[in-house]
Amino acid sequence: MAAFEQLRALVVEDNAHMRKLLRELIAALGIKESYEAANGKEAFAILREHQPDLVLTDLTMQPMDGIEFTRQVRLSPASPNPYVPIIMVTGHTERHRVEAARDAGTTEFLAKPVTVNNLFLRIAEIVERPRPYVRCATYFGPDRRRHNDEKYNGPWRRETDAQNDLEFR
Amino acid sequence: MSSKKRPPAPLPGKSVSVQPGAYPVFTSTAAMALLRALRDPAVAAEATQVIADSADEFRAEVLNYIDRVDAAARAEDFESIYDHAHEIRGLAGNAGLAATARIANGLCRYLDALARAARRPEGHVIALHLEAIARAAHAEDEATRLGDAVASELAQLVDKKLAEINGLESA
Repeated sequence: MAAFEQLRALVVEDNAHMRKLLRELIAALGIKESYEAANGKEAFAILREHQPDLVLTDLTMQPMDGIEFTRQVRLSPASPNPYVPIIMVTGHTERHRVEAARDAGTTEFLAKPVTVNNLFLRIAEIVERPRPYVRCATYFGPDRRRHNDEKYNGPWRRETDAQNDLEFR
Repeated sequence: MSSKKRPPAPLPGKSVSVQPGAYPVFTSTAAMALLRALRDPAVAAEATQVIADSADEFRAEVLNYIDRVDAAARAEDFESIYDHAHEIRGLAGNAGLAATARIANGLCRYLDALARAARRPEGHVIALHLEAIARAAHAEDEATRLGDAVASELAQLVDKKLAEINGLESA
């Protein structure tokens, strides 16, 4: 058995066809143990029971959407693993919705339509380049700074920003 | 539950970083095996076939949502129109209906902007999009220049309408 066959994935999606497709793609990759939920509320219960290593979630669902689910995973005392990688699989292109998902603690975004290349790139990104997690008064989740902005001239607030802070002064 | 898995407590006025390795991630053997699979052409071919095999059921699902969005439009239920159009844009691409997805995305952009501006959508803008969605999704060969041209024209219409809203907002 390949080592990664011990990995578990959770697919959260209200559309049964998309849910099935995502589970089949995960299985094709070799992750045979996967679970599914039709909304964030169901997903959180499954997350607690099975503790998946990877989560793929839709954004728009009832009664709990992917944003609230992600927030629960990151911040709830009942969450079994606040660090679990979460890929938000969404057709939303409206900026405010994408920013809300990012600010809830989404690890990666996968735009619909789902393609093999895009899905595999997102998973590879998680495996090859895991990001630091950041905790502040208003956020816990993967570091939202994906690149150094040379034009940024605001304050540096992180403890690890000491060097930058000196340069800023 | 391992205390190693708990995030650090927030510090007033500060942020704290937790570096990879200090939190639970895939084991190195699992990560290596996963990367090998992600780069394996045979795995990619199998996954591509999975997507190809699902296209017909996605197409049928898009047609279901077209019926629902038409009913929502007749009822002038703008929230439901958005919800169904959003489903169409998410599903149509995997049904091989790229132009349908683009047109549905334009309608979503329009309705989302109007809702955020607390303005009532114009019926003819919705009707034009729904007619184009239905025609494109039912076309024998949806991926035609005509489908793309219609999607582009409607995108321009939405851009114009959104510019009008933004102009009104900033006036």
